[in-house]
Amino acid sequence: MKLAKRMLFNKKGSLIGAVLAVTIGILVIHVNFVIFQGLFDAIVRDISEYRNGDILVTNEDDYIDKSDSSIVSWFERISYVEAAAPRLSSTAEMEITKNGKLIEKTRVPVVGVDPFNDIRASTVHETVAEGTYVFSRNSIVLGNTVAEDLGGATVGDNVKVMIIDRWGEEQTKRFTVSGIAKSPGGQGFDYSTVIHIDTLRDMTNREDQTGSIMVKLKDPTKALEVKEFFLLSFPNDDFLAETIEESAEEQLAGFRSGIAMINMIGYFGMMSSAFAIVTIQMMLVNGKTREIGVMRAIGAKRKDILIIFIFQGMLIGAIGAGVGTATGLGYTFYAKETKMSFNNSLPLEVTYNWEKIIQTALASFVLAIIASLYPSYRATKLLPVEAMRTV
Amino acid sequence: MKALDDVSFSIEQGEVVLIVGSSGSGKSTLLNMIGLLDSPTNGSILIDETNTTTLNDSQISSFRNKKLGFIFQFSNLLTDLSVLENILLPRQIAGTDLTSEKQALDLLKAVGLETQIHKRANKISGGQAQRVAIARGLINKPSIVLADEPTGNLDSVTSDTIVQLMKSMARKLNQTFIVVTHDREHFGDVDRIITIKDGRAFEGEQPSTMEITA
Repeated sequence: MKLAKRMLFNKKGSLIGAVLAVTIGILVIHVNFVIFQGLFDAIVRDISEYRNGDILVTNEDDYIDKSDSSIVSWFERISYVEAAAPRLSSTAEMEITKNGKLIEKTRVPVVGVDPFNDIRASTVHETVAEGTYVFSRNSIVLGNTVAEDLGGATVGDNVKVMIIDRWGEEQTKRFTVSGIAKSPGGQGFDYSTVIHIDTLRDMTNREDQTGSIMVKLKDPTKALEVKEFFLLSFPNDDFLAETIEESAEEQLAGFRSGIAMINMIGYFGMMSSAFAIVTIQMMLVNGKTREIGVMRAIGAKRKDILIIFIFQGMLIGAIGAGVGTATGLGYTFYAKETKMSFNNSLPLEVTYNWEKIIQTALASFVLAIIASLYPSYRATKLLPVEAMRTV
Repeated sequence: MKALDDVSFSIEQGEVVLIVGSSGSGKSTLLNMIGLLDSPTNGSILIDETNTTTLNDSQISSFRNKKLGFIFQFSNLLTDLSVLENILLPRQIAGTDLTSEKQALDLLKAVGLETQIHKRANKISGGQAQRVAIARGLINKPSIVLADEPTGNLDSVTSDTIVQLMKSMARKLNQTFIVVTHDREHFGDVDRIITIKDGRAFEGEQPSTMEITA
């Protein structure tokens, strides 16, 4: 073992090359994870925080007829639940007069919120960059894009909103813009408008009806448990309750395959590292041919030679995995501390996935050993007399 | 074409035997066969009543480790190891190195290198390296020490020292030394000389028929 170590450490160039190969392989996987998994988690986070909560309750076919306050109260009695808030959605046509010019915009999504509960169950109110969130029945928050489409509507402007109610009648109401919402990754209400839920109920003629209830948990890992308990408690109400993974599945499915693809690229990178190790180990074997011959001549068995070079593979794997993991963790730490964002907008959700970190390090270590098998085997096949003739 | 043909002789325990001959005559091939580094296409090599041609690769390695000591022309020390570690290498391979450091130090004293023990093998002179190689060849107390041109790469003063050292070791330890050399005058009186010519062995200047039973 001492000899194996010396042989390797005296060839610093080869050692550094092999360790770098493993390190880079691991680093690529860590960087991919931080960026792409971070982006995925950030989108999940924003969908959960802004729109769906940890559990989203809807009606299987239509609107929820049960009193929203009774459902909210039911949820808030569960110790795992932080808050619950009702929402109702519709579409509207909007008009604004800017500098004497009438500007119209059709098919604008409208979300009705209960301001008191919404700011507890969601952080979407924090995306209001100018002004304040909905606070009264005639205040409206415009998404940044909607405000731009309405000729640059600003806080204090007056907008006319027309909605077709459930009976097909047009309902019109004037609102005062209380805020403009703009979320970093665009998952908030940037393309929508937000008004008081009771106003929207009045305009759509859906008194006492609710589109959805978003439930925020203190511990999101309990989502499935809470969801199942809810469905068991209301077996006859046609409720549909979905965890964030279920409710956002459609939006995330494509992304998930993208991440799998990126991970594949990472693992291909690791395979390239293995080829680099094979090459470097072959160079080490070639450089030590005479020494191998001498050792064989003085009694070393084939398995002794095999052990020397496999041990070298283990050393390369261990050092590479250590340095690679440390570098990867350093990058993750940097990304987390600097609140790294994607495309300078969406802050990545950077986490330390210890299971994946250990798995990557172990995989690199094992791969380095596997990569050293062939060069080790070649070393055992050298004939002492011929090997000793090598200069 | 055969490198060696119809070679048959025996050597007794404790003899110092020189194998001489011109370049390409087959003397190194003969030494490699006695050292089990090469195998004959026909015939057998008996060492201590063991027919070595019937051994498998692993048994040959063990046999070489326990029964044979090697001294090569270019010393062939492992440059990654120190002088002491080089000497202990055969013991390490045998898995019995734990108690042999004192013996290695005694051997180093015998070859006059007791002050160089921790030097790296590539930091000592050619003559010193050859003396280390002798110590390495003797550490396992082999029955036979095989030396292939041990002075071939040394100046005449160093060659004399090495020759005297090998002869005194052979006498002291009652070991068989089989030495291939071009340089027979440096060795002076030895027990026997075998001449290889065109792949055939002759005792002195006469054709010889011998059996190896060292």
